[in-house]
Amino acid sequence: MTGPPQTSFGAEGRGPRLLSSGRGAVAVSTASTIVVLAGLVLLFWLAPGSAAVRHTFFNPQDMWKSFIGDPKAGYYSVGAALWLNIRMFLAAEVLILILALVIAVVRQSVSPVMFPIRVVSTIYVDVFRGVPLILVIFAIGFGVPALNLGFISTQSAAVYGVLALVLSYSAYVSEVYRAGLNSVHQSQVAAARSLGLSQWTSLRYVILPQAVRNIIPPLLNDFISLQKDTALVGILGAIEANKAAEIFSDTVFNYSSYVVAAILFLLLTIPLARFTDHLIARDRRRRLAGAPA
Amino acid sequence: MRRILITAAVAALGTGLAACGSTNAGSGATSSGGTASAATTSCTYAGVQKELYTKGVLTVATDKPAYPPWFEDNNPANGKGYESAVAYAVAKQLGFKNSQVKWAYEPFNDSYAPGPKKFDFDINEISVSPQRAQAVTFSTTYYNVQQALVALQGTPIVTKHTPADLKGYVFGDQVGTTSLAFINSAIQPTQTPKVYETLNDVKQALQTHQIAALVADTPTAQYISSSEIKHSVMVGQFPSSGEHYGLLFAKGNPLVTCVDKALATLNKNGTLAALEKKYLQIYLTVPNLKP
Repeated sequence: MTGPPQTSFGAEGRGPRLLSSGRGAVAVSTASTIVVLAGLVLLFWLAPGSAAVRHTFFNPQDMWKSFIGDPKAGYYSVGAALWLNIRMFLAAEVLILILALVIAVVRQSVSPVMFPIRVVSTIYVDVFRGVPLILVIFAIGFGVPALNLGFISTQSAAVYGVLALVLSYSAYVSEVYRAGLNSVHQSQVAAARSLGLSQWTSLRYVILPQAVRNIIPPLLNDFISLQKDTALVGILGAIEANKAAEIFSDTVFNYSSYVVAAILFLLLTIPLARFTDHLIARDRRRRLAGAPA
Repeated sequence: MRRILITAAVAALGTGLAACGSTNAGSGATSSGGTASAATTSCTYAGVQKELYTKGVLTVATDKPAYPPWFEDNNPANGKGYESAVAYAVAKQLGFKNSQVKWAYEPFNDSYAPGPKKFDFDINEISVSPQRAQAVTFSTTYYNVQQALVALQGTPIVTKHTPADLKGYVFGDQVGTTSLAFINSAIQPTQTPKVYETLNDVKQALQTHQIAALVADTPTAQYISSSEIKHSVMVGQFPSSGEHYGLLFAKGNPLVTCVDKALATLNKNGTLAALEKKYLQIYLTVPNLKP
């Protein structure tokens, strides 16, 4: 409306912004937001099946019951089950960071001695990026115990789940690492080598620190995704949040428990998403160091 | 459409209360859906037409895979297996020919979703409970069910299954069955049971020693131990808790009145007993366990 002409990108050198500036613009965007939201709520509320849907998905009583659980009635606490998701996520995250880095460094290596390992890691990345995660979980969770290998075959479902998540996600994350390694200019390597650093030390002290800084946002993006995908481990019989929700809904024929699980996953992922935004903004400030964009 | 929903909402209150009243009715023979409609005219082929999902055919739903001994060869339309046979017997009572019965695929998880259903009734070993009856309408019972344990031969639970022993094992079952409530209230194990998506997953977990025993209804358990998993044995069945299977209808579907009448006739004239004997016959002598 009034005010200076707006570009959607790069206002004040801060990248795309949610709200355009200017008083008129704020008023208009507020009004249109309210109209759109009110329209959606009204549509939901007045739909012929609204009462049934609200009862089935958003029944406060059922939501509370599924949150606290009642094993003797045949269902478990969705809230307590989330703890298993969190533990699986934390364990998987550490392992993925390590394995993915190893794969990325191997794939970036140039030494002829490394050739066979390079081929193996390329095949690994191709295979595990291509196979649906749920199949990997199935194959590990039901396949490894069937091998009857003593200690290895008697782990809990959560352990096999984490193993499958690590195998699958490491393939993705190694590509993120590789992009980071490639983003460091070749002259950096040359400079480090000319200072007398070995290949390994220049990787460790010159290349990696710069590479990792560049890829923190996409890395965290993958980990947000990983947090949700821990729910897939439920197919191995482990009672994590999503499985607990399914058990509840199948027992009392009400889906409100899934909404509880969704809210809990949101509470888990939103802080990480905001933290990622914060890191991106901080990195941008540091690199621009006050210079106009 | 609107009227159906309002009727459904009103009936929801009615049957909810009715179901609460008839919870522990041992045989489960009392009707939980009888109040659902009063306006039904007659339970003939012509009389039920306006209540059908598709005119002229009775649409019956079940899950995939359809497990024996409830169905055979994963083919509900062959009339073999207890539930398939019951569905055709009910259809016959209502005046449908076998060719006028159509089978629909309905995953168990979807069967209780709100909104219109894609079937007239669902027959899928679904246990009736007052909580569930708030979301759907059930017919009267067509099978009174007990829970049983299956384990691999030579594993400890086969010989050691006193109530105290049972607490120490890891049990597994399929999601959506009532055995989880049973395990937790009757056995009270120290380790959390494992809950799988399909019965096939539970069987796989048993074979790879991830669970000490699987819990299933007695006919399923005995079928698994006798024909499906080599070296497995049915440890025994638990006493009845009044649990029974019912046909699942959309909430307030008036067709339930006629189906209940048909089931009552089939019960009285011995058809249900005969079908039980025919398809579930090997399951008549089973050792009893104390939970």
